Amino acid sequence: MRNNLLQAVRGVAGIVACGFIPWVAMPAPAASDAPAYVGSEACKVCHEEIYNNLKKTPHSAVDTGARPGWTGRACESCHGPGGKHVESASAADIKNPDKETSTEVDRTCLTCHLNQRTPGGRIASGHARDEVGCTTCHSIHGQGGAKLVLHANAEINAKCSTCHISQWASFNKPYKHRLIENAMSCVDCHNPHASIRPDTLTASFGDEPGCLNCHGDKRGPFIYEHAPVRDEGCTACHEPHGSANPRMLIRHEVRLVCLECHSNLPFSANTVIGGVAPAFHDLRSTRFQDCTICHVKVHGSYADREFLR
Amino acid sequence: MRLLACFLLVVSLAAQAPDAPKPADQSASSAQAAPAAQSSQAAPAAQSAASAPAAAPAPAAENQPSGDNWLTGSIELGYRWVPTPGGTDNAYRSVVNLTDGFRILNSDFTILDPHHWLFDRADVHTSNWGDPYTTLRVNIEKHDWYNLTANYRNIAYFDFLPSFANPEFNQGALLDQNSFDTAIRATDIQLDLLPHKWITPYLGFSSNTQYGRGVTDFNQESQYNEYPVASLYSDLTNNYRAGVRMEMGKYHVTLEQGGTTFKDDQGASDMGPNPGNFTGLLFGETMPLDSMDELYRVRGDSVYSKALLAANPLPWISVTGQFVYARPRTDVDYTENSTGNFLLQRILQFYSSGQDLLTGDANMPHLTGSLSVELRPWRRFRIVESWMSDRFHGASDALLVENLLAGMPLTDQQLANERIVLRYNQEEVDAYYEVTPYLTLRGGYRFVWGNTDVTAPILTGLPSETANLHRNVGIAGVSYRLGQKFRINGDAEGSNSAQAFFRTSLQQYEKAHVRAQYDLSPAWHVAADVSLLNNSNPNPNVQLDFSSRVESASLNWTPNSGKWGSVLVDYSRVAIRSDILYLIPQSLQPTPSIYTENDHLLTTLASFRWFAVGGSMFLGSGSRPTQYYQPLARLTVPLHKHVDWITEWRWYAMNDVFYALDNFRSNQIMSSLRFSR
Repeated sequence: MRNNLLQAVRGVAGIVACGFIPWVAMPAPAASDAPAYVGSEACKVCHEEIYNNLKKTPHSAVDTGARPGWTGRACESCHGPGGKHVESASAADIKNPDKETSTEVDRTCLTCHLNQRTPGGRIASGHARDEVGCTTCHSIHGQGGAKLVLHANAEINAKCSTCHISQWASFNKPYKHRLIENAMSCVDCHNPHASIRPDTLTASFGDEPGCLNCHGDKRGPFIYEHAPVRDEGCTACHEPHGSANPRMLIRHEVRLVCLECHSNLPFSANTVIGGVAPAFHDLRSTRFQDCTICHVKVHGSYADREFLR
Repeated sequence: MRLLACFLLVVSLAAQAPDAPKPADQSASSAQAAPAAQSSQAAPAAQSAASAPAAAPAPAAENQPSGDNWLTGSIELGYRWVPTPGGTDNAYRSVVNLTDGFRILNSDFTILDPHHWLFDRADVHTSNWGDPYTTLRVNIEKHDWYNLTANYRNIAYFDFLPSFANPEFNQGALLDQNSFDTAIRATDIQLDLLPHKWITPYLGFSSNTQYGRGVTDFNQESQYNEYPVASLYSDLTNNYRAGVRMEMGKYHVTLEQGGTTFKDDQGASDMGPNPGNFTGLLFGETMPLDSMDELYRVRGDSVYSKALLAANPLPWISVTGQFVYARPRTDVDYTENSTGNFLLQRILQFYSSGQDLLTGDANMPHLTGSLSVELRPWRRFRIVESWMSDRFHGASDALLVENLLAGMPLTDQQLANERIVLRYNQEEVDAYYEVTPYLTLRGGYRFVWGNTDVTAPILTGLPSETANLHRNVGIAGVSYRLGQKFRINGDAEGSNSAQAFFRTSLQQYEKAHVRAQYDLSPAWHVAADVSLLNNSNPNPNVQLDFSSRVESASLNWTPNSGKWGSVLVDYSRVAIRSDILYLIPQSLQPTPSIYTENDHLLTTLASFRWFAVGGSMFLGSGSRPTQYYQPLARLTVPLHKHVDWITEWRWYAMNDVFYALDNFRSNQIMSSLRFSR
């Protein structure tokens, strides 16, 4: 353990130091040399409200030099050169992302935001696949503070549920995670940009399922692992959005959750995993109708191979 | 809690400062991105209100500070009356768990520092302080210097259903022998330095803890009796991380190094005498537990390294990838002492006391990597190729020493070596073709393969079990958009694989999902969502046949962009049927396990300036027929320009047809004052 911690400290120190190493000068976008740019102040003349709002957002950093070559051109960094539009005052002479396809909008945004908090890569995400563009959730001209997106749990949940109706409905079942109560939000478990985990599930501790962010006692590693917990994850037995069954289980009786897997006869070393339940349990007795009464450590045990303690 | 309450009260007092408060700059908030975005945001606001037990926080638009107000926001303080719930109180606490008392329901503040000394802007959101689920979010930023985000959540986890996990239920005992009364606290803090720069270092800390008590079962080695005993839970996981994001024009790299520490000190104890679940005679003897104590002492740590890459090296190619390597490990010391009358099965002899001592360790190196490449050879055509690999190798050793007193002392030692291995790989290629700027067709292919090894259960007589995964999946999709008003997405995939890890895994399946939205007018919005899944495993020993169908529709009316109010109707229908063979343990006879679920879920809310009425209803039938109702009515009376008096009534009612002892009903009245500035 001590060696691991030392390694971690060394790694952290190295990375932080790396962050302060002077970096090579970044090339300015070629577009910045285009002569038709007029600057954000020119945009302000007609679009003062939007301009003032933008000044309160992180995008104002573009105006102050966060992107070399775009200083004073925050508006045009997304809308393109505004020279012709200034002359004609015609909407047709300026790029309006609101009228572009979501793919084109994404390309505009990803010019700068290709890697920000998008662990799996935006291009492989479900939202990208369904052409749900950045501006569906992000309000570019303001509202939402630093991320241009809503922060309060209630507002995040409301935004997601606009499209994910059925998932949101599941939280009205009696046994559920407390999203309806605004104690959690969708993005506590899902990364809407993308994730290395299935179903855009967030990752915890590097590459573990995001469920462990709150249920850290289920992480282990255990002396005795329960294979489906590791191989298929929590959803092998639980409905995380909501369930009609206690403990958000996928079946109304616990024994069936277990026995549907532990019923492999004849035994074979290369079929499916699960073995068979011990044959001396008489399920007619209520003592044996709920396996987790005795097999209390079904998520993994530190002390017993049969998860009894 | 007290500190936060003081802080918020002070802040609210400060909000009543002598300066005449000016209304927030509405024009600033009105200039949102697009009309379409406005309409789509109005709908969820109503939906959220329908579902929130407490009033939703003031709309974000009201919280946009103008240049003159250094503080804007709102706070809602109230008191909830909860008469004693009808039905079973433990069931009520397991599902709802709201109690009497003073509450800070919501607060939502934005503070601007006009001098820009320590920060430029701070946002504070809290919800449900005093309730069993409390949240706090703080975001503080100083432009170009730092961005600090902190999240805190405290959720009570109470689970005690009299009819659940209760072997003695038929004898009239109402003890859930697998129950919890714990709290889960999660904290996450991240500090980004030099945001908006090319190089952004960041530091982070997360903590998760669960503590409390409950009831668990104590088992001696024999299978003849088990004893419900009191348990204590206490675990803590801390995560430390640091990294740097580098954005270099066409290349973006994130490097992160992190580590976790973990400890688990759960235990159980009982002072007896405890007859256990078996109260009869075994070989002429009763089997009581006279005393026991059990203690886990688990310590763990982990180091992980993470690298992310995203690049646009050429105008027609994008690349993203991720690599994570983690190395978690745990050390375990376990002690258990018990006295009573127990049967040692392997020698068929009774013994009166036992002591188990276990020491062991486990480690599980875990490697995950992914890479995605998007090629855009032509303007309307693109190909996305993705690879992903996830593999770990768990190994553990444990030494168990058993000391028994069965007339004479007996000692036994067992050495265990366990392993679990997973190799999971996935490759997918998708081709997108934009037939028109608003119609995109997609087709693809996914190949999933891998294997897993695990130490086999004893009864199989095998040293290990191995399963292979081999899945070929065909993929198709369509996206269509008609202007800004209509949008539809459809996805479908199917597989005809022959190998899977478990009997219930996806094997031969078809999956489809269609989602559509239509803005009938600026005030009327409709949406629909249909998803289907059929999965089967024709193996004669399995015969799995699973089907799931979920249909949802939503209607939202927001006249005048929601300024007058809104009406929302949400309906979902769920139909699940699962049929699979399983072996009855006592006879090993194959028998079908059939699970059916037919649910209707309805959520409605009519919300206007002064009142709101609505709620949700769940009607489930099938294997566990249950009804669950959550209606509400809310009256809002403006007392002052910045003060509203809100009175809310809620009703929670659960009706479980098979397990009547899990039923409850509860009336609740909440009266609160909301101060805004």
